[in-house]
Amino acid sequence: MQVASAKSKHNRDERPPRDLKTTGTTPPVVPARFQVAKRTLLMDRFMNQFIKVGGLSVIVAVFGIFIFILIQILPLFKGAAVLELKTIELEQADYIQLGIDEWSELPFALQADGDINLIDVAGDRGVVTQSLPFVAEHGISGVHYNQLAQRLTVGTRDGQFAIVEINYKPVFAAGSGRVVEAAVTSGKLLPIGRPGVPVDEIGYADAGGRKLAVATQTIDGRKELHAVTLEQKRSLMGAGQTNVDQTFDLTGIVNGAVSSFLVATQADSVLITTEAGEVIYLFLEGREFVVRQTLRPFADLPDPRIGLLRYVFGDVTFVAVAPTGETKGYSLYLDPEVGSRQFGETKKFEAQPGATDVFAASVRNKAFLLAGGGHARLVFSTTEAIRWQKDLDFKVRKAVLGGKYDRMVFLDDAARLHFYELKDPHPEASLKAFFGKLWYEGAPEPKYDWQSTGGSDDFEPKLSLVPLIIGSLKGTLYALLFAVPIALLAATYTSQFLKPEIKTIVKPTMEIMASLPSVVLGFLAALWLAPILETRVPSILLIIVMVPLSALFFGIAWARLPPRMRLFIPPGWEFLVFLPMMFVSGWVAWRLGPALERMVFVVSDPSTGALIADFRLWWPSVTGTPFEQRNSLVVGFMMGFAVIPIIFTIAEDALSNVPQALRSGSLALGASRWQTARRIVLPTASAGIFSALMIGLGRAVGETMIVVMATGNTPIMEWNIFSGMRTLAANIAVELPEAPHHGTLYRSLFLGAMVLFLLTFFVNTIAEVMRQRLRERYKTVE
Amino acid sequence: MVWITSMGLAVGLTMIVFLLGMIVYNGLEVFWPKPVVRLELREGSTAGLNNAPAFGGVIVKTQEKAVQVLASEGETLAPQREYQLFVGNKDVYGFGYKFVDNTEIVAESRPPEIVVAERLEYGNAIFVPKELKLADGNTVTGDDRQFEATLESLVDEGNKRRTEIRRIERDQIGDLNRKFDSIRLARRSIEAKGGELSPADREKLAELDATSTALQAEYELKAAKARELRDLQHANQIVYTTLDGAERTLPTGDLIGFYYPNTLSLPGKAGLFVHRFWSFLSDEPREANTEGGIFPAIFGTFVMTLLMSMAVTPFGVLAAIYLREYAKQGVFVRSVRIAVNNLAGVPSIVFGVFGLGFFVYFLGGTIDRLFFSLSLPTPTFGTGGVLWASLTLALMTVPVVIVATEEALSAVSRGTREGSLACGASKWQTIQSIVLPASLPGILTGLILAMARGAGEVAPLMLVGVVKLAPTLPIDTIYPFVHLERKFMHLGFHIYDLGFQSPDSEAAKPMVFATTFLLILLVVCLNLGAILIRNHLRKKYRTSTF
Repeated sequence: MQVASAKSKHNRDERPPRDLKTTGTTPPVVPARFQVAKRTLLMDRFMNQFIKVGGLSVIVAVFGIFIFILIQILPLFKGAAVLELKTIELEQADYIQLGIDEWSELPFALQADGDINLIDVAGDRGVVTQSLPFVAEHGISGVHYNQLAQRLTVGTRDGQFAIVEINYKPVFAAGSGRVVEAAVTSGKLLPIGRPGVPVDEIGYADAGGRKLAVATQTIDGRKELHAVTLEQKRSLMGAGQTNVDQTFDLTGIVNGAVSSFLVATQADSVLITTEAGEVIYLFLEGREFVVRQTLRPFADLPDPRIGLLRYVFGDVTFVAVAPTGETKGYSLYLDPEVGSRQFGETKKFEAQPGATDVFAASVRNKAFLLAGGGHARLVFSTTEAIRWQKDLDFKVRKAVLGGKYDRMVFLDDAARLHFYELKDPHPEASLKAFFGKLWYEGAPEPKYDWQSTGGSDDFEPKLSLVPLIIGSLKGTLYALLFAVPIALLAATYTSQFLKPEIKTIVKPTMEIMASLPSVVLGFLAALWLAPILETRVPSILLIIVMVPLSALFFGIAWARLPPRMRLFIPPGWEFLVFLPMMFVSGWVAWRLGPALERMVFVVSDPSTGALIADFRLWWPSVTGTPFEQRNSLVVGFMMGFAVIPIIFTIAEDALSNVPQALRSGSLALGASRWQTARRIVLPTASAGIFSALMIGLGRAVGETMIVVMATGNTPIMEWNIFSGMRTLAANIAVELPEAPHHGTLYRSLFLGAMVLFLLTFFVNTIAEVMRQRLRERYKTVE
Repeated sequence: MVWITSMGLAVGLTMIVFLLGMIVYNGLEVFWPKPVVRLELREGSTAGLNNAPAFGGVIVKTQEKAVQVLASEGETLAPQREYQLFVGNKDVYGFGYKFVDNTEIVAESRPPEIVVAERLEYGNAIFVPKELKLADGNTVTGDDRQFEATLESLVDEGNKRRTEIRRIERDQIGDLNRKFDSIRLARRSIEAKGGELSPADREKLAELDATSTALQAEYELKAAKARELRDLQHANQIVYTTLDGAERTLPTGDLIGFYYPNTLSLPGKAGLFVHRFWSFLSDEPREANTEGGIFPAIFGTFVMTLLMSMAVTPFGVLAAIYLREYAKQGVFVRSVRIAVNNLAGVPSIVFGVFGLGFFVYFLGGTIDRLFFSLSLPTPTFGTGGVLWASLTLALMTVPVVIVATEEALSAVSRGTREGSLACGASKWQTIQSIVLPASLPGILTGLILAMARGAGEVAPLMLVGVVKLAPTLPIDTIYPFVHLERKFMHLGFHIYDLGFQSPDSEAAKPMVFATTFLLILLVVCLNLGAILIRNHLRKKYRTSTF
């Protein structure tokens, strides 16, 4: 824009001398009748300014599109913004667990003596203490907190455990807005492991029908691992008492000394870490625990022990941190070689600066917080990106992330509660997520994938634009394969050989074809062409081969005819003669299609053994790739249809504008019409033809409706002509209406639009520059 | 080689002609009444409906069966043909179309007594009439001479009454609803002040309550009247048997029209064709858009295109005049020109994305917060609407207008300009009275091209305000007459919606073809206009240079 204002200033500087010449140099001599009316001058000056400002602002506004879209996507690439809100001093005590509600207004801290301190952060209620009733008698020795269910599982000093529910609920009081209140209810004590022996560590999972509790106890310096499944009796009165159903002693199953364990929320598996640095994956098969897998995450380190092992939200991925700070992620996926879901190393995070003992997982997304000593770090599991990290001026004892991924709470060793605001609206986004391969949960390998929404809360959005870009290119490729030969041949013929009188009809017809709304083409492609093509693939193949062949043979035969016969058809009318030829060969090919199908494309039905001549079955059985009704062939055909007139018009212009002198010269030297076209005209106009191709490409890349309607819109990465695709443009059209304003998906789609914008703008600019150069070249010839 | 290149042209031209021809044929064929056949099936065949020995309908398609099973020796079995029939009577069968193999059919006939009736619900009915049960207790049997005339008068009466009901329900009751709404808003604005109400406010509230009660009473009255008319619609009934023998009764008030397809003469068919085509143009859609007309879509397209042209013309022309007449021709202007040219090639969906982000969410959201905060969180301008759609398309088509205008401006010869300046006209006067008039046809061409592109574009509209069914038009007789915030229907989106989102895509197909025909007609006409103007211009300039 600075360039623009500089230019216009320059412009203004230039003008005064001319004005002086016409109006003001010799004031006394000009008679009144030659003087310009004030109104005219004012009007002129006003319009001058108005047009300049208006014109410039229209141009600026048009380019503002780019800037606006850019502004929309920038937040995607920002890290988390963290702001310290407040620090609250708690009473000095031994705090063993920290928890927080969904609204991050009423966190709690559990003391070792069984007091739950509810700390009102938003209001002025201060700290309210509620005591767990059974603790006075039985004591606490281990605790497990499930933030999503707001459930504490407390292990006692005499080998029992109880489930404590913290029922947070928002209360809307008149006039004062929302207040969060909490009620603590404890369930009954249930036995686990050896009676009378303190529970060191407890884990609990409730998956509705299945409830699993696991605990460790130390007996004679050796850790024992016990598990119980619970069952809830259902009666006419509703949910009944929960009782122990089955007990397991898992100590024997583990090879080595148990150090710690994790229970998955699906209540079907336990991960056990041993002192030797092994992770053992136990799975509850029926009513039996079996070892599914044994891993050694840090076998390559001098100290292979595991410092910390925790699940990321969804309990499909666990993060292991070595005592020295190395951090790895393991994820469950179905390994086709093993045949069952096993853990494999999928993530390598940047190493922690030192020992890490505090972990907090978000219950919104795949982010987790790691802290050790004074260093805290927020990592997003999917992208392996560090969202935020800081050396704090206190030592972190406990930490928790707010229920909406909007707060971070730390408890330090001086019993102070530090409250941080966390602003990280797009943790899933990163350059790597959009353009790189990521190893998603449940996938057997890293891949490019687009799947923006899923059915469950712990769904991991997959936002790679690569399959969409590939889809766009695939559609474009097939469209151009179809369109370029026809368009260029037609352009050559029209500009070089066709009678000018007919040309005045042909060109407008082609231009009208260019204006056919793409929704019409898309509708025809999907509802008319696709069903035809589906059953007639062999016919189409034959037509593609036979029509050009017939033209070739006809041309050769024609050349052999005696000249007298040839004079029968004046030059410039060939295409009319060819029309019936084409219909005949096309019709023959169409009719022969089923015969070809019977001869070549035969498969035997596996169930009946009957031979079936059907290309749709033959293709997958031979190539292994699927045959879909709405496939790239259909899209290529219709999109080609949309692109043909564009390429045709521009290429025809370029060819027609080749200076007549060149052609006349060539013809005068004895070259035939075709030689002139091939050797003189085509090379001269090559830049123009290239530019025509580029503009055609630009249109095909951005074409929306045809693709939305005529492909299956599945984001796949393969070049199979009989399968569909999803393009950038179609993706925007399909997903943007449903995308929440300013969400990650919304901005990702803007990013897609930006990619599309840049791609077409780039391609078009090349084309335009080529065209300008061509014009220069013609000028020099003339 | 010349022949190969001629092939390119031949293929290209054939494709256009074929495609256009197909659309025209399919689009118009929809309205042409076709005979109804009655098929008798072979004994024990289960191909019919409800195991009846016969059924019938309009043969829509005849095709060879797709899958070819080879006998073990490699011989093909005799190819089978199958017919696709439109059987109608969706209320009886649950579907509208049925395939039947030729091997199942024994006999085919076209009985003259078959009637095709257009209904309010469940699409067309195809039946043999049995009798009319009139409200006064009389009956007219189907073979009575009076039957056709009686039914026709009943249907006419029903249609008139339906218009009346519509007038009451939509216009009058709708008017009342709007009044209720404004009372609600007024009350909210008083209550929003908070705290103690002043006496004036309290008085106003009481007044509002009084009007509200009065309106309520009026509403009851109107509703009762509408109910009464509705009951009358059910007074007369027609009893008929479908072609497979099921007997049904239908109130004549549910019929829109009927004809005897197998006895129609050619003029009769033509008349019916024109009538059906007209009602397609002027009616509102029914049955999830698969029946009825498309008037709201035509009107929506029209309003949007008009608004778009109103926005695009001044800005495009202004920018072009600046670029051509005022800006210093240099690298900057050349690169701006290239960029503007390229902008015409940027995919329309990108403009849609911009329109959604900028116009709808940013501008619309701001307007809502400033002026319509009372009705929040229901957005007024903060959601797609005809204004935003037009502006988005205007932005998309502005490059087209700029390029065309620039070309037209540069075609005005230097001599003309200099002549004007030499006569003492100022720069603006020259532009205003010499250059612009001379380039007007060129500008017009650009505008028409822009309109054609705008009218046919769908992808960006899907993001900024087009809907499948808009209950109200963007321009009507209710103050302030032009409702820029309203969502609208659009021919192009109608095609997309009918073909791809409709519950019964087979039933929607004729409508899609008809709509497509109309849209193509519109776009082709606009383009032809532009081309004609351009050719005319060229001729004019050619003569003027010599």
